[in-house]
Amino acid sequence: MSRGKIKFIIAIAAIALTLAYLVYGGVKDTMVYYLTVEELKERIPSVYKEKVRVSGTVVPGSIKKDIDGNLEFKITDGDQSIDVRYKGIIPDVFRDGVQAVVEGTYTPENVFQAKILLAKCPTKYEPANPANKKEST
Amino acid sequence: MVETGSICLFLSFVISVYTLFASLVGGKTRKREFTNSAENGALAVFILLTIASGSLIHALLTRDFSLKYVSSNISRDLPTLYSITAFWAGQAGSLLLWAWILSIYTALVVLLNRRKSRELMPYVLASLAAISSFFIYLVAFVESPFEKLPFAPDDGRGLNPLLQNPYMAIHPLTLYFGYVGVTVPFAFAMGALLSGRLGDEWIRNSRKWTILAWTFLGIGLLLGARWAYLELGWGGYWAWDPVENAAFMPWLTATAFLHSVMIQEKKGMLKKWNMALIIITFFLALFGTFITRSGIISSVHSFAQSNIGPFFLSFIGFILIFSFGMFTLRLDQLKSENRYDSILSRESAFLFNNLIFLAAAFSVFLGTIFPIVSEAIKGEKILVGPPYFNRVNVPMGLILILLMGIGPLISWRKASQENLMKNFLYPSILGILTAVVLFLVGIREAVALISFGLCAFVAATIFIEFYRGTKVRAKRGENYLLALYHLISRNRRRYGGYIVHVGVILIVIGITASSAFVTQKEATLKKGESISVNHYTLRFDELNQYTTEMKHVTAAKLSVFNSERSLGVIVPEKNVYKYEGNRDIDNETEVALRSTFKDDLYVILTNFDGNGTASFRVLINPMVSWIWAGGIVLALGAIVIMWPSARERREEAVVRYSVEISEEGTAKV
Repeated sequence: MSRGKIKFIIAIAAIALTLAYLVYGGVKDTMVYYLTVEELKERIPSVYKEKVRVSGTVVPGSIKKDIDGNLEFKITDGDQSIDVRYKGIIPDVFRDGVQAVVEGTYTPENVFQAKILLAKCPTKYEPANPANKKEST
Repeated sequence: MVETGSICLFLSFVISVYTLFASLVGGKTRKREFTNSAENGALAVFILLTIASGSLIHALLTRDFSLKYVSSNISRDLPTLYSITAFWAGQAGSLLLWAWILSIYTALVVLLNRRKSRELMPYVLASLAAISSFFIYLVAFVESPFEKLPFAPDDGRGLNPLLQNPYMAIHPLTLYFGYVGVTVPFAFAMGALLSGRLGDEWIRNSRKWTILAWTFLGIGLLLGARWAYLELGWGGYWAWDPVENAAFMPWLTATAFLHSVMIQEKKGMLKKWNMALIIITFFLALFGTFITRSGIISSVHSFAQSNIGPFFLSFIGFILIFSFGMFTLRLDQLKSENRYDSILSRESAFLFNNLIFLAAAFSVFLGTIFPIVSEAIKGEKILVGPPYFNRVNVPMGLILILLMGIGPLISWRKASQENLMKNFLYPSILGILTAVVLFLVGIREAVALISFGLCAFVAATIFIEFYRGTKVRAKRGENYLLALYHLISRNRRRYGGYIVHVGVILIVIGITASSAFVTQKEATLKKGESISVNHYTLRFDELNQYTTEMKHVTAAKLSVFNSERSLGVIVPEKNVYKYEGNRDIDNETEVALRSTFKDDLYVILTNFDGNGTASFRVLINPMVSWIWAGGIVLALGAIVIMWPSARERREEAVVRYSVEISEEGTAKV
């Protein structure tokens, strides 16, 4: 029986270790810093090498879109702003003044090359209140 | 009507609190009058909340914009169906829905157990009433859907076009029935701990109600995936968003419980484990409601910033402390009656199944709260994205599929070589063969090969089970169809479980194929030009613009060909809603979808200009339909399991009869 017990303990330990390994490796390789525009600027130049996610309000009038789907716009934290370039699926919610989240890299030319564009949206349960939202993101 | 709603909410709170105390007194003193009165209280709460919900629906249908809730969620041009579904489009309405569904469940528990479990039931009812009281308090006093505006606007803000989809009518409702349903097994667990009756009764009831809640949660998740697939227009159906994870975690732990409970019923083992699983599942359901409602974790679904956060946190804290406290007090009564003999046994297959389900739930939990944890520890907000969840969960998912084939067939206690050969030889050969053939055909993705191989293995084990069972019956002279019918109907739990497993296999096949082999292409086309993707050719015929009652539509007409053979026309759209109100968005991309069991042709109109040029994104998603088909099979299997069998009905009749006799007996004394 005690040998059987040891087998169980080994098996359970193996599961725990595998889980720890998967979680650790997963976090290490996929983690993304979530920054505000201000924090992004503070992290120059080390930020150029990092994959980051930035949130901010889309500056009204800054959206430029061509027929091939290349998109340029600015996001701001109310104080500073950055230029964003993106090509890909544009969420329906995306427009002037919404809260946008971009993921990608900030290049030394001071342009944010976004791979992912998200906009705060649908199951929005209550009217958006930009003043509050800043704290939460 | 509005006053009626407010009054009903207030009354239901008072009665719910009364129910709590009356049932506690009833349980303590064993006096039937108190318990009976508490049961009537629970029914009254159900009736009052039904009236309150009715009056909210009435206000939505009559467009009573003097209500804040009505004016911020609908507008005059909204169709009737979506005016009703706006019930759960906002915070206050969703909370009312929670409370209402809980009152439905509570009423059902009361009605189904009227003459049973006299010592357990008062405490079960007390637990349900305590949780009800909390939610009713929130809707009645903190976030009321019946809050009035100082003056009524002419029109409301309107409903987000993305929520104007038939799936939004049914998906949140199903999910809520799942979330709230988890409360019932928790209440039985608490009832067992409080009354000290930790025998079979509570575990049997918990299992039944968990299957129901689990089915709702699973179907709700799939409906949500389908909604995202059709409506969000990015070609996928699952993004590991916090809101999705919130519903996925209790589903995982509930699945673990549904398996480990069999070990408790058959072998009297895992009693502490099961108790802990139920508590954790309920915690995760509350936690899920909390993160979707409080906005503590940012998500692409933007959340309400509301004042219910602190209430929820205190309530969750209280629930955890109370339930684990009671658990510790009763620990010595939850001793195992058996022990593990061999690692090659059904007991240990189930144990590992449970450990992995729990590990998966934990990893999802960690990923979901990672931003909060990292901010607390390092002062920096760090996210882990979909790659994290996939990397951690895919291997665990594969092991679970393997266990799904092994668990039901391996012998109890210790598997002999004979048992292993008899049950697993052919399925293993088939599984390996499948992987080899797919490799030779040219598939090189390791995960996909393993996944398909395992699916074939499990499918074969299930097929053999049905085949053997049917053959035995058929030998006794039944025809095969009748034999199959009797096989299932006489062992509903076992064969219903197998049907659920078949559904899961279909879903896994669909997920594997559609995540490993997507083809995507973008093109800007002039009228008459074509684009080819895989075996499909699409010709852009024309761009039509027209106006309906609600929206301005721009529709691109494309003819689809499969190597010269015409497959008809598909029409992706971009819509701009006329009435802007104050809703967040007024434009909506309507995806065109041509779905077969082989693949989905998924076309998005991404852009267009005045001279008739339009750009498209075309995706070929293989075998997505298998996921939805799997969901239907899964639901059917769950219905087979839950269908009351003739024997159970007889047993219940006997119990009822004997209780009546004993009650008459005591009455005479």
